[in-house]
Amino acid sequence: MLNHLKMGDTLPEYIERLELLAFFAGYPLVYSIMHFIAGARGRPTGPFWNRTIKLLPVAYALTGTLFLGLVLKDIKAGAALRPTDLSFHISFLQIWGIVAVLFWIPLLAKKPVYSLAHSLIFFSLLLKDILMGLGSVSGRDIVKNDMKIYAVSFLLNLISLGIIIIFYFFLAQISARKK
Amino acid sequence: MKLFSNNTLLVILVLISGYGYVIGCTHENLPPPAPASNTPVIVHGSDILLPGEMTKGDTTQWKLDKVHSSVLWSGSYIGAAGLLTGRFNQFGMHDVKDPEKTYYVTKAQPLMDTSWAFYENAPERTYFNGYVQINTSNTGEPGRDTGCNITNLGTIKIISGSQNLTDSNLAQIHSTKVEFDTQSQDYIVTFNLTWKGLLSAPLTQSIVGRLKYIKKAVVGAGTTAPYSVFGLQLNFQFDCRDFGITSTSISDKIDIECNMNFNNK
Repeated sequence: MLNHLKMGDTLPEYIERLELLAFFAGYPLVYSIMHFIAGARGRPTGPFWNRTIKLLPVAYALTGTLFLGLVLKDIKAGAALRPTDLSFHISFLQIWGIVAVLFWIPLLAKKPVYSLAHSLIFFSLLLKDILMGLGSVSGRDIVKNDMKIYAVSFLLNLISLGIIIIFYFFLAQISARKK
Repeated sequence: MKLFSNNTLLVILVLISGYGYVIGCTHENLPPPAPASNTPVIVHGSDILLPGEMTKGDTTQWKLDKVHSSVLWSGSYIGAAGLLTGRFNQFGMHDVKDPEKTYYVTKAQPLMDTSWAFYENAPERTYFNGYVQINTSNTGEPGRDTGCNITNLGTIKIISGSQNLTDSNLAQIHSTKVEFDTQSQDYIVTFNLTWKGLLSAPLTQSIVGRLKYIKKAVVGAGTTAPYSVFGLQLNFQFDCRDFGITSTSISDKIDIECNMNFNNK
């Protein structure tokens, strides 16, 4: 992994960047695939796909919550190592990642495009690595590693969406029974 | 997405992702690393070790520590896997000249072990001489050592209280050239082996062997009487048939290992 460090990156900064990529970089692809499936020509857009599109920001909020859990775990681990030092480091990009939790708020969740805009910041990190990695062997190694993380991120966001869909399906079933 | 459609976004994302995978998975032919050097790293020190007159207490003069030295031999049994091995109980590092080839009534070394010099970094100046008394060959079987071995090697039994340095009981080596081994820390030694065996007169044969220098070290450091030691180990092989030795049970090649230890006490 040390070989993949960029000029100016420390190991913790590099790991932090990989974590952000792992959680959020795959969301734009999930988002656009779902929209493509829902809005494909000749396909009647059914209630399931309409519902799925609406649930995308909620799934994104779930991913953000998982990321928040990871950040809190890191802070707790750091505090255990240095019990007398109550300070902790958190970067702007981490705060930006945690902001994804706000998509639990229904008002924000109504605008799926906001969640896309939020995640494109992280996708741009990947894009930057791809563009900068063209010229060198070490750059290609970075891209290779990023693409593995990107694949994991895509799966994570897909699973988050799946969990949310199942959760809302059961919620709808329970509501229907009550009525 | 008013600015561009979702489909456009998907195409862009798929293209970027695909391009990323193509870049990440493309392996260029890297030039193979340069092969490791086959030349061994050999460093010879500058030790100069000389016997002088073997004056006791003179730490610049090195004495053969016979008690801790040995001359070992081994030969193969014909048609069997095992080795026949033995050692010579009496040996020394003296160039035994003709007038000295006689009996000595002593239990100690009959002659001074001073016919050698070792220059670690100047092998051309290194030389050594040595001898063994053939009838002191010890295979651990007294019946053999005082029996068939005596007659088969053309000598006579030990005469108690005396040391036999006569021609028929003497095998000698005399170095003629010492040079660095280019493949190791060792030295390649050319020397003459002189032995009568079962021949009518002693035969001198030129043989090449390997000399190993076991570096000088201090023994008993921190005590009231520390001293230094070093070792020379010579390995070589010769054909006993050349010296008239015939046998239906022992093969012709005999391996010799001389372990000579010295101290400066």
